[in-house]
Amino acid sequence: MRPMNYIVPESAEAAVAILAERGENACPLAGGTDLVVDLKHAPGNINALVDVSGLEEFRGIDETDEGLRIGSMVTYGEIMEHPVCIEKTPEVVAASHTVGAVQTRNLGTIGGNLVTCVPSADSAPALMVLDAEVTLIGTNGWRRMPIEDFFVGPRKTILEPCELLAEIWIPGHTLGKPSSFYKFGLRKGQALALVNAAAALELDGDRIVEPRIALGAVAPTPIRAVKAEALLDGQVVNAKLLDEAAKISVTESKPIDDFRASRNYRRQLIRTLTRRVLERSVEIARERQEKDKLH
Amino acid sequence: MATRVKDVQTNVEDLVTAREARAPSRQPLAVPIDQPVTFPLELPESEARLRTPAVGQRATRPDGRLHGLGQTQYIDDITFPHMLHAKILRSEYAHARIVSIDTSEAEKMPGVIATLTGAEVPENSFGPTYQDQPILAYPIARHRGDGVAAVAATTEQFALDALEKIRVEYEPLPAVFDPLEALEDDSPKVHGGDTNIYTSKVIKKGDVEAGLAASDHVFERRFSTQMVEHVPLEPHATIASWDGNGRVSIWSSLGRITLGREDLARTLQMPQSRIRLIGTVVGGNFGGKNEITNEPIVALLSRKSRRPVKAIYSRGDEFVSSTIRHPFIMDYTTGVDNEGRILARKIRLVLDGGAYCSWTGTTIGKGSILAPGPYNIDNVLVEAYAVYTNKTTTGAMRGFGAPQVCFAYESQMDDMADALGIDPLEIRLRNGFSENSLSPTGQSLQSVALKESLTQAADRFRWKEWQA
Amino acid sequence: MLVELTVNGESRSANVPPETTLLKMLREYLGLTGAKLGCDVGDCGTCTVIVDGVSVNSCLMLAGRADGCDVTTIEGLATADELHPLQQKFEEHGALQCGFCGPGMLISAKNLLDTNPEPSVFEVRDALAGNLCRCTGYTKIIEAVIEAGEMMNQEQATV
Repeated sequence: MRPMNYIVPESAEAAVAILAERGENACPLAGGTDLVVDLKHAPGNINALVDVSGLEEFRGIDETDEGLRIGSMVTYGEIMEHPVCIEKTPEVVAASHTVGAVQTRNLGTIGGNLVTCVPSADSAPALMVLDAEVTLIGTNGWRRMPIEDFFVGPRKTILEPCELLAEIWIPGHTLGKPSSFYKFGLRKGQALALVNAAAALELDGDRIVEPRIALGAVAPTPIRAVKAEALLDGQVVNAKLLDEAAKISVTESKPIDDFRASRNYRRQLIRTLTRRVLERSVEIARERQEKDKLH
Repeated sequence: MATRVKDVQTNVEDLVTAREARAPSRQPLAVPIDQPVTFPLELPESEARLRTPAVGQRATRPDGRLHGLGQTQYIDDITFPHMLHAKILRSEYAHARIVSIDTSEAEKMPGVIATLTGAEVPENSFGPTYQDQPILAYPIARHRGDGVAAVAATTEQFALDALEKIRVEYEPLPAVFDPLEALEDDSPKVHGGDTNIYTSKVIKKGDVEAGLAASDHVFERRFSTQMVEHVPLEPHATIASWDGNGRVSIWSSLGRITLGREDLARTLQMPQSRIRLIGTVVGGNFGGKNEITNEPIVALLSRKSRRPVKAIYSRGDEFVSSTIRHPFIMDYTTGVDNEGRILARKIRLVLDGGAYCSWTGTTIGKGSILAPGPYNIDNVLVEAYAVYTNKTTTGAMRGFGAPQVCFAYESQMDDMADALGIDPLEIRLRNGFSENSLSPTGQSLQSVALKESLTQAADRFRWKEWQA
Repeated sequence: MLVELTVNGESRSANVPPETTLLKMLREYLGLTGAKLGCDVGDCGTCTVIVDGVSVNSCLMLAGRADGCDVTTIEGLATADELHPLQQKFEEHGALQCGFCGPGMLISAKNLLDTNPEPSVFEVRDALAGNLCRCTGYTKIIEAVIEAGEMMNQEQATV
């Protein structure tokens, strides 16, 4: 690696100030599982790393009245072991489990994954179906937005220069919402998703309420399949309906041909994975109804 | 001596007795299909296992303890005082004439002690069969993995930075990437001349046309396989140290050091007695470390810099610049009678050789001999061609062509079984080699346990139940 | 920059350029060559070490990040008197052939057994997904890990 300055700021504000002062030659460092690889092989003109991974403001998982706050610098390994995440956001845990392998999950952070903003980012669909929001801190202070608005294009987020992703918020009303995540890669460990899919929904009797479907690696950014959601909303669950929604979600996607898979193969994956996450979410919702009946 | 033999025999008997004593506790494999297989799998003791002290025994490596302790010394674990690090610049084009190479700016870079180009290599060619491969390409680069210049510097990063300062002027030449296109008359010729075919092989047995004519059914299909890189976890690694007496010591992850020393003597143009080649512990070979790669480069950089020089391939170098498995394009035409007996098999193999020959000679030989499969066939014709393309060099890899043809002939056996409504196991048993069968090249085969192995394996995984 | 670590229970420190990875520091500054450089991008796992109780790819971690941390490398598994059960079982099973993946493989296995002494085959596979081996086909490795876990449990029980 080329000579670098390594700076550990004392606070989020200080990190933003250092980045502002140093300009484009400085880069925030999170887990480093992507950035360090880039710096070794295609360093560009970066000569300073501002290590934000230990900043208090970006760390920790806390359940509050507002919902669940996950610091952007929380690692996948930490999410997978956190009792609240395991209980209330199991599909975020499942998505975390599919990232890389143990060693990369212990370094890689959920915020780093979102900021890198590759279309196949595994955490994105899992968070999108829970209506997650993100908070950012920059030279103009803090701002907050739905996570969908954070993604702009492949490797491009809404972050302004010197702005940092601070937290991910999962609102209280979606914590514990029946949900499911599937990823399909060419192998289980260390593989990028050919397609990943997440769904969340509630059942009111037999009717689907508040359905959410999100897909990754099927468009320039992770997307919500809003037309498929609209089809499901308020309808009585049946196998044909779920498959119909899965079919519509294919039309909402724009998968690419590349060396990992063809467009056609990805389209078939989208339909199958979407149907499966919906079926699984319904199954979980039904189990919940049964339990509630017993009580 | 006699007593020693007796001792060994006693030991064997002891072992067999010990195993027999253990045998009753071992249960035959009995895992119901609907239950997950438990682990570790207990296998039944077979007669053969009890007869030999080797089969079925755990193999404990003499070096296993050091491996586990992390104390095994691979080349990258060895270091010398004042040692330099070498990096190699790769060609920008798949096929190009190198008009000029200017290393002067690179030499001014911090930490740089020496540079090297192909023109400085005493004899710039090597290869186990044909010496068609340059140490550093000059004046023609024939694939993107060809090295064109090298730098030795005090750190790896200084060497990498210096590579960026080397100015190479290329005159791009038309390139060919598809082995079938490379066969055509008007295709670009990778090594000049009028053909890209550099090795061929023909095997004839009986009369294949008559055999096909006499067949009830004829099956034709093209099969192809892809490139495969060995991916040894330890990349190619070398240290060279040229001493004051004009002798060079080379530590290398090379598997064939005797051949390697010959190639070094040739490329460095010095007697073998002046070259000490030390084959170290190798972190994975699989055929990819069967010939020299960067050893002469590192040796010459050491001579120029008068310091020990180490070169470790990056994982990227490993993929583009070390050898890989030959992709095969395989046309199979097979004639069978109504019972599925093979009467004739005609095969054309096209081996994608990449830019240089490497171990293609061995690969085309084994691939051709094994291409008809382990089946009794009276009429066989195999025609195999290896062609140059402007791609990564293909060479030795586990099996030397055997896995490629196996994929083709076994796929076609399934095609035929399916079309004729014959059980896939049965069609193999009807055609399979047995004791004293003749191979396509006329070799009488001994100790042939093909059918027994197939039947036993089919019983073990309950083939019949799965078919039901 | 000065980086201070506790490596295998010993205080170690070195002055390294800030861009130095933990792997480079261990190998070139502290002389601990057990962890290997295999791919340099965090895919192969030969560089695996344990930092503050979790396994990481040391080729992706800057040494500065590990300042003040507790690091365990392959050199810290055996004592002067005996092998770690994993080392013993890997040796007995012939689980290491060329051995290059071994140090990383053993460290990942240790990291698993430290938290889960009775792993299932699936859990072993999952825990070793980030450690590639090109020689063995993994079977002997998985057997060795499971047996080492059993051995450690028995040792615990007899204490």
